Amino acid sequence: MDTAKSQGIRVASVDDIPEGEGIAISSDITGTEDDIAILRDDDGTCWALNDTCTHETASLAEGWVEDGDVECPLHSSRFNLKTGKVDGLPATRDTVPHRVEVRDGEVYLFPGERP
Amino acid sequence: MTVSSVISSVVVVGGGIAGVSTVAELRKKGYVGDLTLLSADPVPYDRPPLSKEYLAGGRDLDSIALQAPEWYVDQRISLVGGVVAVALRPDAGEVELSDGRVLTADRIVLATGGRAVRPSLGEIGSAIHVLREVGDADRLRTQLVPGARLLIVGAGLIGAEVASTARKLGAEVVLVDPLPVPLAAAVGIEVATWLHGLHADHGVGALTTTVETLLETPAGVAAQLTGEPGSREFDAVLLAVGLVPETALAEAAGLETSRGILVDAGQVTSHPSVLAVGDCARLRDHPRAEHWEAAQLDGARAAATILEAEPPPTTASWWWSDRYGLHVEGVGEMRSPDAEHQTVVRGVVGEPPFSVFTLRGERVIGAVAVDDPNAVRAARRMIDRGVDVRASDLADPGTDLRKLLRR
Repeated sequence: MDTAKSQGIRVASVDDIPEGEGIAISSDITGTEDDIAILRDDDGTCWALNDTCTHETASLAEGWVEDGDVECPLHSSRFNLKTGKVDGLPATRDTVPHRVEVRDGEVYLFPGERP
Repeated sequence: MTVSSVISSVVVVGGGIAGVSTVAELRKKGYVGDLTLLSADPVPYDRPPLSKEYLAGGRDLDSIALQAPEWYVDQRISLVGGVVAVALRPDAGEVELSDGRVLTADRIVLATGGRAVRPSLGEIGSAIHVLREVGDADRLRTQLVPGARLLIVGAGLIGAEVASTARKLGAEVVLVDPLPVPLAAAVGIEVATWLHGLHADHGVGALTTTVETLLETPAGVAAQLTGEPGSREFDAVLLAVGLVPETALAEAAGLETSRGILVDAGQVTSHPSVLAVGDCARLRDHPRAEHWEAAQLDGARAAATILEAEPPPTTASWWWSDRYGLHVEGVGEMRSPDAEHQTVVRGVVGEPPFSVFTLRGERVIGAVAVDDPNAVRAARRMIDRGVDVRASDLADPGTDLRKLLRR
């Protein structure tokens, strides 16, 4: 594993993501199939999930983040921030979580690594 | 031994969102007994896409399944597809199926849904449609070709969604409704006026009138609209004028019904071992909700009742709709401004994203948003949690609505 990858990709300053919100990181940067949503829970913790809701096409980065879940902005399916597990129709498939780390106020993303 | 520990078999009649939610919630809450789901369709599917992506051809039946077929196996749910219940015997706990079988259960949950209202405007034939089932959508779609002339009767949510989809497919659309501004009660007059105006902006002939007769002709359908000298020709007609709850099974079994199968707050009907959920059910002294999430929550409440578990928390009613690429959501209750109520606009009506709130005193009681779903999510929490807010804070798009919740 090369050094850059083992240290993760610096994607944002943690202050750029208000608590309860998210930002989408393009797949051009993450190298993953889908974009990745960096989601900041209302306790300040950062998490990362595949950005596209498994139901249709909504961006989870635009969802409502609260109490360990993100709620899809279109039809309100909820996904667990840590595990990607879906709780609540209309989505039926879990999404993919990725590992993030906050160092010195910067958010580092490890695409493809489990949290 | 508690009552719930002796419940060892449940039959759910109906495979819409209410029925599927009931079985899902029973398992989620730890029910391990026999569980059967009767579905008129081989695999239960989700209805909202039938007027939108499915009708447009962008989704197939597999992709709108409420759960994948293997889910029923994993959850040990006996999915009996392609049958309907023909008789219910509450005292015996029996459900008789269209294939002659008789199922017995400790609890029976009716999730029979509803059917589209078919006004008597003439013979319903191959060119006159309603939209409730996937087969309805399939039949309608074959007629939505570029240049086809479609008449939609009823400009509520379904009529408006189909108008939008039909325009996307290149059809010519006339949309009639007796109300000059449909949906005013649901979204408030200002938003309703703008939403209805979108039809004309997208080339739909939106008319405030009624249909007197529909006559199938070799060329299509001749529609006589009130106040017009002659009839108009259409290739297809969609009647989108509402829903009748499917109560026949319950009525025949002697359950109490009145514009729905009457239920208590735990979804229990007038017979203690029969529950009802979704569009077929009506909570005593309340109107039927007729929305997707309401049906889902009914299922969760029924499961809690059966298992004597804690019911899901009550929450303001929520719905969504899509037209012309815009996402509309509503929560709670919208009221016209009066001595008690105030209307607060966040942004500019007609320039999405925007949202409109109804305040009673310092409490939000309803909100509608266009392309601003998190405003509705915030409003819902304000309603559910009884948060006091200032109108000026709500109206300022610079205010983080989440922060108003944390105060």
